Amino acid sequence: MKAPSLPSLDFLRLPDRIGWRDHVIGASLGLLYLAWLLGTARELGFPRDEGVYFRAATEYWRWWLMLFERGREALQQGPIDSAFSMNHEHPALMKTLFGFSFWLFHEKWRVFADASTAFRLPGMATASLAIWVIYLFGARAWSRRAGAVAAVLFALMPRVFFHAHLACFDVPITAMWILCVYVHWRAQEKRSLGWIVAVGVVYGLALDTKHNAWFLPLVLVPHALFVQRHAIWRALKVGRLSLPGSLVSMAVLGPLVLVALWPYLWNDTLARVQWWVNFHLHHEYYNIEFLGKNYFGPPSPRSYLPVMVLATVPTVTLLLFFVGAVERGGVAVKRLLAWPRGVLKRAAATAADAPPRDARETDLLLALAFLVAIGPFFLPKTPIFGGTKHWMPAYPVLALYAGRGFDLLVPAMHRALPRLEARARWAAEALMVVCVILAPLAITAHSHPFGLSSYVPLVGGTAGGADLGLDRQFWGYTSQNAAEEYLNPRAPRGATVFIHDTTWDAWQRMQDEGRVRADLRAVGAPGEGMFALVEHELHMNEVDYAIWVADGTDAPAYIVEHDGVPIVSVYRKP
Amino acid sequence: MPRTLHDALPVTRPKTACKLRAALSRASNRLQRWAFAAVPAVGLIELAAHGLQTRRGATDADWGAARDYVAAQARGADLVAFAPAWVDPIGRARFGPALATLEREARSDETRFPRALEVSIRGAHLPAFAEWRRSGEQRFGAVSVTTWENPAPAQVLDDLVSRVDAQHLHVSRGDAECAFTHGTAQSGGLGFGPTIPADRFVCPAGAFIGASVVADLDYVPHRCIFAPPPGNAPLRLRFAGVRFGRLLHGHHALYVEAERDRKGAPVTLSFKSGDATLGTVVHRDGDGWKPFELDTSALTGQTGELLAEISSPGGERRLYCFEADTR
Repeated sequence: MKAPSLPSLDFLRLPDRIGWRDHVIGASLGLLYLAWLLGTARELGFPRDEGVYFRAATEYWRWWLMLFERGREALQQGPIDSAFSMNHEHPALMKTLFGFSFWLFHEKWRVFADASTAFRLPGMATASLAIWVIYLFGARAWSRRAGAVAAVLFALMPRVFFHAHLACFDVPITAMWILCVYVHWRAQEKRSLGWIVAVGVVYGLALDTKHNAWFLPLVLVPHALFVQRHAIWRALKVGRLSLPGSLVSMAVLGPLVLVALWPYLWNDTLARVQWWVNFHLHHEYYNIEFLGKNYFGPPSPRSYLPVMVLATVPTVTLLLFFVGAVERGGVAVKRLLAWPRGVLKRAAATAADAPPRDARETDLLLALAFLVAIGPFFLPKTPIFGGTKHWMPAYPVLALYAGRGFDLLVPAMHRALPRLEARARWAAEALMVVCVILAPLAITAHSHPFGLSSYVPLVGGTAGGADLGLDRQFWGYTSQNAAEEYLNPRAPRGATVFIHDTTWDAWQRMQDEGRVRADLRAVGAPGEGMFALVEHELHMNEVDYAIWVADGTDAPAYIVEHDGVPIVSVYRKP
Repeated sequence: MPRTLHDALPVTRPKTACKLRAALSRASNRLQRWAFAAVPAVGLIELAAHGLQTRRGATDADWGAARDYVAAQARGADLVAFAPAWVDPIGRARFGPALATLEREARSDETRFPRALEVSIRGAHLPAFAEWRRSGEQRFGAVSVTTWENPAPAQVLDDLVSRVDAQHLHVSRGDAECAFTHGTAQSGGLGFGPTIPADRFVCPAGAFIGASVVADLDYVPHRCIFAPPPGNAPLRLRFAGVRFGRLLHGHHALYVEAERDRKGAPVTLSFKSGDATLGTVVHRDGDGWKPFELDTSALTGQTGELLAEISSPGGERRLYCFEADTR
């Protein structure tokens, strides 16, 4: 008797050329992630910074509405400064989008009941954009499989998942970083006016997102010069200076877009840009715990980045990154070794054992995009208070190398199992995908909403991170969890609560949205409240001790825990 | 007769070596062929580890059983401590203030405790007990209680921190007397410094003294006498009826944020009894929770007044705290 035949999978076969279907795949992955983020947004409280950005967003958008309604009146310095002076240490693009989204999706269309979700939507959308771009990048550079795995592994980094929820700038600049690198890469290949203009525009948008964009020229300039070195050299020989169009576009359009979309720079432009640069060059050092020690100033430990990456990025992702990076590094070394022989023969490309030349110099570009994003964090003067979020622009590249690593495993598997028929091969590939994404998925899902407290199994999970003395949290966003688990059900009506590291803005919004009971009254000192919260971080221990003396008890009434690790202590005055 | 060892080897020897080499080569090829499987294997191991790490932990019942055991075992002079240090809030919440007392939690050091009941999870132990003798261990699920014996416990005669009240202490700032008052404790968030306790001595020009808890340079709590020197006049603390032993043993520190930048003026603490100066210790920023011991053997067995004088050339943010006992 014949075995029943399974349906053919040929209909799933995509054309070799990367095209619109790939945009659909990339966008679908991004939208799936967006749906997950939206579905989990309400579980996450409001960090300190987010409260400030909510307010700034409202102010910024108020000005744009004024511009539409009153035209020239809004263009005077007074109205501009009154709206945009708030939080002018960060550029305006994302806050403007937060404000627009709030106005459109909460105020006007009532799509989201929570104003905060509307504020957060643009940030979440940039995470989706990053996933889309990573897929396309990987698909064009190596294979669709590499792109898809890279996109998924990026999405399944717990810290990325945490920050992707927020109306902040860290995931947006991560998305703009990889988008800028991608558009630049395409521009080197296509060299069409459209792509060249796109580089300038996207770079301007990146500049208007966060100051990490200042470092992008260190990636794009050497790469463009290297890709177009022959043309530049030929032009120089005839006495002409030929610069890559994409770089000219970046230099001209980038600042124009920045200024155009940041009205605060429309007056006293140079002085204000100078202030912006100085603010970040001399940024205050906030406290952060690392290996049991509280760092509050330079020198920052050089091991911070490697240890935190190992402790927060799923190990299987890092292993795949290692496989991919070593392979691409090996290719680069082979090319480098073949180059002198090629020069001697005056034909580099004909050197017999040289790898095929990539006119887009993808390896160089990705290596630069990765190294420049992480490089500053090996300098002793770079503040480290942001934990992993400040080097997140490196993560799309890390994920791309991981995708490439996975791409190498598949043929290796086929070599090991040569007799598998087509459908079994497909099933084996699918099984391998499951094997590499299941742990990141489980870890990421479990980390929520305590994404900053969560560490990967390699270091023992959340408890292992606590054992190592790694930072538990920052930004005071976990007061929502204390309210949900203890205050809302148990506090007497009208009770006063010392809200510790949570800002008044954030507390007020949590009350407005029904996350914290509206009758609970926030107070600013531990002794003033019937209840007092301590959001555990090493340097916040002093608040614990202050409560012991002020309230006459050292025993919390309740503790919010994640995997047995204290996140928030709730004290009740005896 | 064979002349060399090679000649003596049986003729099958080279074949065996070849076979071994071939087998090794086959094993190596197989290993290379299946090397790819290491990655999905790591993925599965990571998943399994995540499952274990998130499911294993101390339950309410474990903590409850450990608390009941400690409540039955602990004597007043014993130390009850929690390990690792990060589990301390959970320990305090589960054990309550009667077992996790302020004196135990915010101890100056461990020297006075004859015995310690260390409640721990994850096999952790506090470094303070490294030289102590382990006399027992009880397990309650994921929580264990280890009993440690102090090889040389100090016998404390009087603890100055416990004598900050109108009956045992008189305070003056320069020549001005400071009154003992009961008010409202003053505390704040990050950066405020130790809580100014409700029961405190208040001096005419604004200085105060009271028993509080300081976060030292390592953010460890210590119960101490919070006595910020105002800068222009020394604070004088006269402890009445102190029983003297061989030593005056103590520690001093500034609140972490007051001393971590190492920019402040030093603080000097002098002890006198009668006409005799017992000793002077200086705390400089960065010293942290600094121990000191002064020889009082000449006063052993006597009871009398002990004067502590605190001064600093600069009074700005000198959030100074000290503790001492006679032993």
